[in-house]
Amino acid sequence: MKIVGILFILLFCFESKSNINFNAKSTTLENGLRLIVVENPRAPVVAQMMWYNFGSNIEQRGKSGLAHFMEHLMFKGTKKFPNSYYSDYLSKIGGSENAFTSYDYTAYYQIFPSQHLEKIIELEADRMNNLTLTKKNVEIEKKVILEERFQRIESDPSAQLDESMRTVLFPNDYYGRPIIGWKHEIENLSYDDVIDFYKENYNPNNAILILSGDIKFKNAKKLVNKYYKSINSSQKIKLNKLNNPDLKTSTNVELSNENVKQQIWKRIYRTKSYNDSMTQSIALDLGMKILAGGTSSLLYEEFVNKKKIFSMVGGFFQGLTKGNGYIYFYAIPNKKVEQSEISDLLDKFIVQAIDEGISEEKLILEKKKYYFDSIYGMDGILKPAEIIGEALTIGLSLDDIENWNDKLDKINLEMVKKELKEFSKNRNFVTGNLKN
Amino acid sequence: MRFIFLFFLLIFKNLDAFEYKNLKTNSGIEFWFVEDKSIPIVSVSFSFRGGSSIDIKDKNGISNLMTSLLDEGTRNLTSKKFKNEMKMNGMKLSFSTQKDKIDGVFQIISAQAKDGFDLFYEALNHPSFNEVDINRVKRQVISSIKIDESDLSTLASNKFNQHFFKDHVFSNNIKGSEESIKNITRTDLVNFHKKSFVKNNLVIGVAGNINVNKIKKYIELVFGELKDNQQNYSIKQFKALSVGQKMFEMKTPQSSVLFGHPGLERNNENFFALRIANYILGGGGFQSRLYKNIREKKGLVYSIYSYLLSYENDGVIVGGFQTRNKSVFQTIENVKNEWKKLNKRGITKNELDNAKAYFNGSFTRNFTSTLSIARLLQVVQYYELGADYFIKREKIINSLNLEKVNGIISEYFSNEKLFFMIVGEPEKK
Repeated sequence: MKIVGILFILLFCFESKSNINFNAKSTTLENGLRLIVVENPRAPVVAQMMWYNFGSNIEQRGKSGLAHFMEHLMFKGTKKFPNSYYSDYLSKIGGSENAFTSYDYTAYYQIFPSQHLEKIIELEADRMNNLTLTKKNVEIEKKVILEERFQRIESDPSAQLDESMRTVLFPNDYYGRPIIGWKHEIENLSYDDVIDFYKENYNPNNAILILSGDIKFKNAKKLVNKYYKSINSSQKIKLNKLNNPDLKTSTNVELSNENVKQQIWKRIYRTKSYNDSMTQSIALDLGMKILAGGTSSLLYEEFVNKKKIFSMVGGFFQGLTKGNGYIYFYAIPNKKVEQSEISDLLDKFIVQAIDEGISEEKLILEKKKYYFDSIYGMDGILKPAEIIGEALTIGLSLDDIENWNDKLDKINLEMVKKELKEFSKNRNFVTGNLKN
Repeated sequence: MRFIFLFFLLIFKNLDAFEYKNLKTNSGIEFWFVEDKSIPIVSVSFSFRGGSSIDIKDKNGISNLMTSLLDEGTRNLTSKKFKNEMKMNGMKLSFSTQKDKIDGVFQIISAQAKDGFDLFYEALNHPSFNEVDINRVKRQVISSIKIDESDLSTLASNKFNQHFFKDHVFSNNIKGSEESIKNITRTDLVNFHKKSFVKNNLVIGVAGNINVNKIKKYIELVFGELKDNQQNYSIKQFKALSVGQKMFEMKTPQSSVLFGHPGLERNNENFFALRIANYILGGGGFQSRLYKNIREKKGLVYSIYSYLLSYENDGVIVGGFQTRNKSVFQTIENVKNEWKKLNKRGITKNELDNAKAYFNGSFTRNFTSTLSIARLLQVVQYYELGADYFIKREKIINSLNLEKVNGIISEYFSNEKLFFMIVGEPEKK
């Protein structure tokens, strides 16, 4: 046994830790389709991800769940490749596939041996424009989606609590509606709703195709052009950007269910996003990691190690969003504690910790971890496509992603403290309690 | 700090040419290794036979508790300091207790290898098992047991194991119970640690950017002090798996159903035939008969699947789905029908060809990251699939013909041997 041709190519040799990047190559077709290629010929495998820059955020009122419904129906076949042809083909070549819908994006991906590249590009292009749906497809799939809602939400009290907390926190925009849709609205989605949604939104202007793995940019460009150029662009999605009012009341949401054996306290804050400011968001993210990330955070040290009130406590910032970002906290008490008591303990401690606990030493540690994690993010072929796709669809640029670590380098203690101080004055939050 | 990494691309263009090295350290520890210079990371995947199957009576969950304590400090470093050191070096270390083994993953940024392997050595050989840390992790395990009991699908899975495996040690919950966790002492943990981490039960796979001499040195450092142990941690055969149906009532709008059936041990000569049969029945993502006939055609479920759990001396087929309480028995009937159809009529030539093509084509996906390569090297050793497995695998698959696979299907699959665990409030037929 022998490795044929160990190819030694000097990819890049960097002296500053800032230069680690995907070396992604990009082009845009005349019809608006964006193509991104991350070359990585380590194994003869390619990951294809098709990202559409819309999700449940473009659904009209009363039609919640439509974007996710559409995602399921994208597997139903076209005139040229009917029924499950695409999925059957993929599995025959040893590939795997799936798709997901979020508030701001919808994505489809396949991982497959690279010799089948052309066919897979053709199949993905074909279903952007030529889907054939029957009323029966739509009716049966609706049953599947209702079962999905029952599995993910109705049978899971913790998910019901989250759903309810979001309606309070985002009273005026799509982040307050469940991605999967409300049960009564899913039930009323019609064949025409689906067809209209598909025709209006599924087009090259709203799409970013990412190919990662054993593929050359030149070849990718040629093939993508061949199969996509004939697809006419229609209009770009028009996102009616809604803002939420400041909350004037404090809201505590409580869900009591006999199946719940362990109390969980939660809180969600409405915050800024990477779209508002990359630098401020990275600073906030680092600050949140020091305050609440993992098992060496300030919160964990105080409440799990010292006071022994919680078995677990933590939180994180999610700002990769088109609209508002959010900060999520949770606490798992060792014994039953009143919701208000937990809120008071955490409120007091957080203010104090921001003043006294955020040190230069801790910041250096988190920055290191951040940097090392970006190296781990390059080990594999799907991960780079995921990172790039999510960032681009929410509105960041390729440069923003490739220069992420430059921005990270420039974050200092003052910037982190400033973000955390601003956060500690944030009154746009909702508190939840899951109990027996 | 200056980082200078040279990036090389390693190409596995042809699987016949996939080459790993079978290395031996000074004290004789064998491990499989692929030098992969495409990324400045070293990944180590390792496994110790035993796991929760060797838990102590009345102290179930001890293996899981012990492994949960391994990143909580060493003889020289407190829990806090140890975690800081891990961050400082870009090190990842995780242990997970399975029914038949303890799996571990260690990853390090190449430039930090020396410090990283030192920390790994300390964590594996000299964990502190400090009383304060033990009590904290116990509280965390107990919370997590309670969360599992509140979660429909996890509860169903635990109930399934309890009833399907009956008297076999696999019926126990890996995490134990609130009572059994409370029974565990520091001395128990220290002894269990010695009992679990023994050389003769260890297999290791490594991939990444490090040279042969260095990795031999580091593997010797980490695992060289472990003792041998003559005890046999092999899993006993499943002599009496349950059949029929069992109910556990829970007030919830959907029921979670798990089903089980006898299978085969991993290195059985008919394993691949069974694997192909299961792929066609319930294993192949959007392809399987269960998926197509129960989800796609009838819309009864969101997800339905079956998979093989194959161990050293025996194996089972496990499947599951969730559906509204009103359609539980209808869906169970559908599963039984698929089972019967498979047993009576077998699979078609077309299905067999597609499945073979899938298994031949999907193998390269294992070569896309250092961790997936390391894991593959480890698994092939764990199940004793042979040093020539990477050449042999395709031949095994291609040698399977329709007559052979259908013969095996009619021999192994039987409706009589099916067991269903239902958790929920199903409406009567």
